[in-house]
Amino acid sequence: MTKWILAAGAAALAIASPALADREGQGGGKGGGKGGQQSAKADRGGGKDRADRGGNARVAKADRGSDKKQSHAVRLSGSDDHGKNRGNAKVRDRDNNRVVVKSRDIDNRGSRFVRVDGDDRFDRRFAGNGWINDCPPGLAKKHNGCLPPGQAKKLVGTRWPDAYQRSFLPASYRNWYPDNDDYLYRVRDGYVYRIDRDRGLINGLFPMFDNDGDFYTVGQRYPLDYGFYNVPTQYQRYYADNNDYLYRYGDGGIYQVNRSNGLVEGIAALLAGDFGVGQRMPLGYDTYNVPLGYRDQYYDTADNMYRYNDGYIYRVDPTTQLITAVISALV
Amino acid sequence: MRNLTILTGLAATLILVAGCDRANKAADGNAPASAEAADAAGNSTIADGLAGNASDSKFVAAAKSVGLDKTLAGPGPYTVLVPSDAAFDKLPAGALDALMKPDSRAQLTGVLTYHILPGTILVADITKAIDNGKGKAVLATMGGATLTATKDGDKIVLADAAGTKAVITGVDDKRSNGVVHQIDAVLMPS
Repeated sequence: MTKWILAAGAAALAIASPALADREGQGGGKGGGKGGQQSAKADRGGGKDRADRGGNARVAKADRGSDKKQSHAVRLSGSDDHGKNRGNAKVRDRDNNRVVVKSRDIDNRGSRFVRVDGDDRFDRRFAGNGWINDCPPGLAKKHNGCLPPGQAKKLVGTRWPDAYQRSFLPASYRNWYPDNDDYLYRVRDGYVYRIDRDRGLINGLFPMFDNDGDFYTVGQRYPLDYGFYNVPTQYQRYYADNNDYLYRYGDGGIYQVNRSNGLVEGIAALLAGDFGVGQRMPLGYDTYNVPLGYRDQYYDTADNMYRYNDGYIYRVDPTTQLITAVISALV
Repeated sequence: MRNLTILTGLAATLILVAGCDRANKAADGNAPASAEAADAAGNSTIADGLAGNASDSKFVAAAKSVGLDKTLAGPGPYTVLVPSDAAFDKLPAGALDALMKPDSRAQLTGVLTYHILPGTILVADITKAIDNGKGKAVLATMGGATLTATKDGDKIVLADAAGTKAVITGVDDKRSNGVVHQIDAVLMPS
């Protein structure tokens, strides 16, 4: 009983939450969210965001489902992760202007922060080009990567620094956004960048784990401003943009967004977060959960156990609990 | 003769290419699903199954109000723990109504995603995990928090962080995108 009273109280508190109110009211919040549009021009850094003023802008066809020639979303043992991010599944937050990873390890899912990146050189390099060295307090609270939406949009169309060609995505994103013939995916300062491989220009970006573990809810504005079609590779064949809806990844899932107004209309799929080879299997995956269609092939033995998550089956060493292979298995 | 040699070489090349393709696919680790197992689950989704069960109407309505009906109709797979209407009726008066208000969507989404687990977990899988785990198994949920499963005789009991318990009363309703278990209480994430 007490819990439910608390729940009702929490609901009331949430209504009064400045961060949430800002997301909904201003369409800003996690990543700008003045949304409702993502024009071709905007995708190249041009164009004004007018959707928050009642616009009905459309997404350019060229940007829809644009991850052509996808590589296989499969990583077998021996990936280039080298265990650097063991135990870490999600980059979620910043700590003193440094990107951190929020752990999903065996102790407490989503509770431990570990720094994985924090090269000030990058900030200096982008000084005057939209980047800011220190996160303004208001933005820091919004967990949007510490970059004002307007500033972030200005980065689109600019050159990705050669010095950061190897600023690879963390293991938690690498299966979802593999480099392909058209685009490279890199991370800096809390954002995932899509970079035109031929021209070396930033094609789009979106804040990593932009909603700090919360879900976008029905009626809430999704921050379309500087994003691109970012549905994880393994789900793209299920969720292509159409005349009515856009599909976008945000923390916790793939969201169905009304094309005309940029508002979330539903959660198309829930996602728990990718895991990487060398990482320890998170808490809560002791129980065999492989989809029925794959059980004949992937069953636990003394040498290997198999667990499913977000479109992949993970092979796990039963002794060390370390992931030794990732197998594409979306049904 | 020369043509025969060329054709033979071409055939050999094609065989080699085909072989390489198979090898590459194997190396990629793409997992072919078993058609038999998929057939056993039928074409009906979790959303279809819940819509056809009158005792799940409150869960269905709640899921729809926060847009999770789309998830339950998607490819999944998920394991869904569905509190029956009777389970919702055990909540304090007004609690569900409060959660169903538009302003409480974030909280309701949190509650419902606490009842959705990654992958397909049959009751036998939970039972085995409990046995292997010396009496308990921790289950990840799509909401991020975990549930704890234990056994009470032949029954599987799920507990939330606050200790509220729910018994699995209807087991292994297999669907094309996962499986549904009925439970007799609503659980709350911490």
